[in-house]
Amino acid sequence: MTIATGRAQPSRQTRSAEPGALRQIWQHRIDYAYVLPSIVVMLIVIAYPIYYTIDLSFFKTPPSLQLRDKIFVGMENYGAILQSDVFWRVTWNTVVWTVASTIIAFILGFGAALALHRDFIGRGVLRAVLIVPWVISAVAASYIWKWIYHSDFGVIGAVMVELGLADRPPNFIDNVNTVLPALIVVNIWREFPFAMIMMMAGLQTVPDQLLRAAKVDGANAWQRFWHVTFPHLSNVSTVTILLLAVANFNSFIIPWIMTGGGPSNASHIWITHIYELAFGRQRWGVASAYSVLLFIILMTLGYFYVRALGGNESKDRGT
Amino acid sequence: MSTTSETLAAPRRGRKRIDGWRWAGRIFLVLMLVYTAAPMAWMLLTSIKSGFAAMQFPPQWWPEEPTLASYAKLLDPQNSVGADFLRFFWNSLFVSTMTTILAVIVAVPAAYAFSRFSFPGRKFLFFAVLLRNMFPAVIFLVPLFILMRVLGLVNTHGSLILTYLTFGLPLAIWLLKGFYDNIPVQLEQAARIDGATRFQAFLLIVMPLSVPGIIATAIYSFIAAWNEYIYAYTFLSKNDQLTLPVGIQRFFSENTTDFPGLMAASFLMSVPVVLLFLVLQRYFVRALTEGAVKH
Repeated sequence: MTIATGRAQPSRQTRSAEPGALRQIWQHRIDYAYVLPSIVVMLIVIAYPIYYTIDLSFFKTPPSLQLRDKIFVGMENYGAILQSDVFWRVTWNTVVWTVASTIIAFILGFGAALALHRDFIGRGVLRAVLIVPWVISAVAASYIWKWIYHSDFGVIGAVMVELGLADRPPNFIDNVNTVLPALIVVNIWREFPFAMIMMMAGLQTVPDQLLRAAKVDGANAWQRFWHVTFPHLSNVSTVTILLLAVANFNSFIIPWIMTGGGPSNASHIWITHIYELAFGRQRWGVASAYSVLLFIILMTLGYFYVRALGGNESKDRGT
Repeated sequence: MSTTSETLAAPRRGRKRIDGWRWAGRIFLVLMLVYTAAPMAWMLLTSIKSGFAAMQFPPQWWPEEPTLASYAKLLDPQNSVGADFLRFFWNSLFVSTMTTILAVIVAVPAAYAFSRFSFPGRKFLFFAVLLRNMFPAVIFLVPLFILMRVLGLVNTHGSLILTYLTFGLPLAIWLLKGFYDNIPVQLEQAARIDGATRFQAFLLIVMPLSVPGIIATAIYSFIAAWNEYIYAYTFLSKNDQLTLPVGIQRFFSENTTDFPGLMAASFLMSVPVVLLFLVLQRYFVRALTEGAVKH
């Protein structure tokens, strides 16, 4: 009885009237004891900051962050954002950055998972090597790639010169046109292993019988993949793509360390721009308004994420 | 998939086509290996060059006079660079370990409750936990900065440990819940029939079974904390308290020409997490994918 399955619970909850709900809460007081420490921590470090950010977004706060001197300005901070040219530039960068990184990282990760699905000598080692970029620190990754892209001594430029593709090493990250793609290459380098891990785990759940049956029916490798394997992976693909999209949207370290958003905002994305507004230019109110907008966007994405996962959970509970 | 396709006698044409896919897979893997490993190889090769050898054009593809001087400098406590580096290393170790311990202690009972009990608000609270994973640190940064100032924690490791729980805790709860979901409820029911209380069943039956999950969660938290940059970059300014990601940045921003040193530091910073990961990747990958892959 106490160890519940959780299946019947939501309907019971909606049916019960107010006093019943309170009694229920009281009856489950020991259950709450397990969760209480985490709720307390999360209230302090998550709920309070969210509340405070929303509050601060309606104020003009002095650079010193002396909160006594803040002035209520209503929606002015939001207006300032929508009217600035930088906003649209940065939003476009964010879209390019997020979409390109997510799609390419997913395709590369999925491809690697498929190629690694078959057993062969050295598979374990190869898989481990391919995962490493995801484990190492993004700071280290940024420095490694900064060195690789270096305008005088960078290895990519040197290879291009040796092969006769360029007269002199190109300057990838100080160039407005190439900086964003150059950073996306670094980001994908770090992220595709995540997609690979997720899709490898997904591939293991594709039933062998189905593939065998399709083969007996005369389906070739591509048809088996497209009609059996791929539909079977729709769930894990959705979750993976959503998680990648959120992670990319929230990137900070790679653009911040490699370029700081430059040259002339060409590699600023929302997150780095917010950081610069807050801690670089001390425009706390505008930065907070940005954060609130970001929050709304992420809640929308989060709705789909929870639905993708929630669908999982209910089906899982049902069996 | 592989074994079954081998055992089935495929018609000749079919087999040829399968080989085509296999070759495409191999070529793809080789390209991915180059993309993945070449930058790391270049980091290692640069780290064993002298500062002079690194700054040549065309570059020395293979270091002509390899030297461990950069490593010796970073690991020598008598040297000022080495003293700083080792202090950053210990700071990172301390902060990451404390975060991991706290996150696991707080998350274990919560994850268990989310997996087993049904109490009003369970779904809502769990989704709140899931949602936290979507929010970037930047959103929380300004208010947490103010909070740390009020609490007097700016420039202390306490501020980092507390804020690292913003991502460590939801992550740990999510991963651990996946593990508890896979431990059959019947085991506890049997223990309860034998007279154990609910808490005893949790402690004596479920906890030992979830050790792999706890290890995986601890590693995940540790790696996330070890690699964290933005909170440390914002909350710490005193040189003796910096963690590695920020510390490295501080001393190489003054000396932008020491690329071998920077590469050696990047390598040393990556060693602990990569080792941890490689040793325990089986648990780790399982924990990560458990929740998402179920269908």
